[in-house]
Formats: sequence, C-alpha cells, structure tokens
Amino acid sequence: MRLGVGIGWRPEIAGFVGALPGLRFAEVIAESVHPEGPAPELLALRDRGAAIVPHGVRLSLGGAEPVAAERVAHLAACAEALGAPLASEHVAFVRAGGVEAGHLLPVPRTRAALDALTANIRRTQAELPVPLAVEPIAALFDWPDAEYTEADFLTELMERTGALLLLDVANVYANARNRGEDPAALLDRLPLDRVAYCHVAGGSEEGGRYHDTHAAAVPAEVLELVAELCARHRPPGLLLERDGRYPPAAELRAELDAIAAASGLEPVT
Amino acid sequence: MSGFDARLAAAQEALVRAMTAGGPMPEGFDAEAVRAAAHGILLKRAGEVARAWPALAASYGTSWKAVFAAWAAERPTRGSFRDGWDFARGNRDRLAGEAARELALAEARWSYDGQAPPRPRRAAARRVPGGAAVAFRGRVRVFGRNPSG
Repeated sequence: MRLGVGIGWRPEIAGFVGALPGLRFAEVIAESVHPEGPAPELLALRDRGAAIVPHGVRLSLGGAEPVAAERVAHLAACAEALGAPLASEHVAFVRAGGVEAGHLLPVPRTRAALDALTANIRRTQAELPVPLAVEPIAALFDWPDAEYTEADFLTELMERTGALLLLDVANVYANARNRGEDPAALLDRLPLDRVAYCHVAGGSEEGGRYHDTHAAAVPAEVLELVAELCARHRPPGLLLERDGRYPPAAELRAELDAIAAASGLEPVT
Repeated sequence: MSGFDARLAAAQEALVRAMTAGGPMPEGFDAEAVRAAAHGILLKRAGEVARAWPALAASYGTSWKAVFAAWAAERPTRGSFRDGWDFARGNRDRLAGEAARELALAEARWSYDGQAPPRPRRAAARRVPGGAAVAFRGRVRVFGRNPSG
C-alpha cells in the first residue's frame, strides 16, 4: 500500500490537516479517540479516502506485565471506527508495578524483555482487526547488560511476531547522536522491507543531549537521513509528527514539502 | 515462554520509581542520563498540564515549567487533568483571578476526592472570583458581577 506523505492529526491543527489537498495518510493518538464518536474532522478525512492509523502510546507492549485487555480493545475499536489499514504502538514500556512513567521508556535488550514483548505483541495482534506496526523509541539512556544489539533485537522481534516496523527516522538520528554512533549504519542493519511507514520530527538540544520533542522544525540532518533511507528502500509512507508549539500553516506546509522532496514522494500541500 | 518474568517486572518498577517517585537509582545505569530523561518527562508533563489548565499555568508566567517540575518530581503522573488539579489544590492559597476561577469551575463541574478519577456532578454551586458557578447536568454557568471575565 502506498501511503505517501502524511501528518500526525492533532485537534489543534485539525483545520490545517483537513485542508491539505493531496493528503491521503494521517495518524491519530489512539488514546485521544472516542471510537463510538470520533472527531468529525477525522471522519471527514476517512470519508475522503485517507488512511488514518491509530497510534497507541499507553499500551506498554514492553512491560513485563501482560497488556491490559481494555487498552487492546480500545485500539481495536479505533482501527474499526477509522477504517484503518493498520495500527501502531511502541517498543517500550510506560508503567510498572502500577506506577505510570508518563512517557515511553526503553526496554532492556535482553532475552527476557524480548519474550515479554513477543507475548504482548501476540496478545495485541490476536484482538486487532488489522496488522500491527511497532516503533522503536528515542532513548536518552540504555539498560546495562544488553544481550542484543538494537538491530538484532528488532530483527528478532519482527521475525517472532510478524509485526511490521514503524521506523522513526528522528529517533534513529537522536539515538545515534546521543550514543555517538552513525545513524546510517543502523539503517543498513534493519529489515527495511518490513517498514510500514516512518515518523519524521524535530527536536532540540538540551545539556548536550538531543531530545526528540516533536516541538521544533525537522532539522536538516533528519531530512538527510530520510534521503539516505529512501535511497536504500523507500517506505510506503512518511509522516510528520508535531506535538505542541504549532507553527504557522506556511511553516508546516514547508516541512511537509521538505519531507516529500527528501523522500521523492509527491507533495501533499 | 511464559511472557511474565518477575525479575524483569521488578527491574522495570525500580527504574520507574527512580525516575518518577524519588526511588534509588538502579545499579548499572548512567545516572546522569536517566535523570536527564526524567527531567525531560517532567517538562513534557508541565506542557500537558498547561494545556489542560491554561489559566493555572499562565498564573505562574515563565516559571510554570520549573515550578511544576519541582512539585511533580516525586509524584508519578495520574494524567494531566488530575496532575493539574492536584497541583492547584496544593497551591490553592496563592491562586487568584483566572487561575482560582479555573479551579472553582472544575470543582463545580466534577466531583473529585483526590484519589479516585473525577466524576461529573449532577448539580453543584461554587464561589468563583466575582460571582458564583452553578453546575447542573454537566453544564456550568457563572453568575455575578463579572461573569465573563
């Protein structure tokens, strides 16, 4: 399926997103959707044939505890209500022992974590009416005692579960920069043929670390990495994520155009 | 494959407690990097609470994020609506004007004991700066000298 260039749908920019003439692909935070009555602007997008992907952020697939059945049911209901071609979540955990982290946290790259992820992804896939894509996160720190490299860990997870990969190009950039590694080298070791779509976003530097905040313009280095990726294997879709500090429409349009130019996909503006 | 590993569960809980609830830093981690990540999460929480409680956040001006982050550092999130509410109640004495009004309107509309999730009230009345808020079946109207201000 060819998705093209898309944008993360947020209530604050619903008017802007709905007015993009060429848009055929958007994503919505699943926890913000009421499946029994989604926002009219979202339904209008669906009804004009755009693919809308519900993107979960609170499932905690990487938690040692089994995913909560009601959270999986909600994601499934979102996919149903939006006529989604697929759903997505993160390779991360967001709570443990009943304590909420308030954010996506990295899992240790160990066999135990791989087993827990595999079990939770399979539980989720069993209830979803559509394929699941899972997204590695940007992490400012790693767990000690890793038994796998990041690429081997993800490849093994894809093989065990049959899940698709949601590759966040900005996360790849952020992780490589914070670890002092080469981001393109990770691309060379990932199963790029399993990428369902990609995220692209901007972040900011604080205290010598790059934080993937989604609150700034996409930096040139991330756009260059988009071009590197597409030169290897162009994914079906690339999606701009923006959370908070929404810029004027002209700047958002310029960012979408820059992603289209870097990837070789059609502009949607 | 059981899918549940007690050691992994305990290790994840220890990390989350260190990052959100003042727990000890687990061994083997880059403590400075974990603290930087935890601080980033607090700033993100402050932004989310500011969207749910705009007048409350605005009443702190440019110091909002720092003040909220200090308050929230050892309080795991219960969602931005309740985080803002708990913060507002904890600082009720210094709230004035729009921020006091925002809290009063929430208390007129919702029943919240500070523990269980808030529930809509059937009917309630609360003083707000410059008048009174009356809630009935989920709708709130403000009566008084300056009802729109």
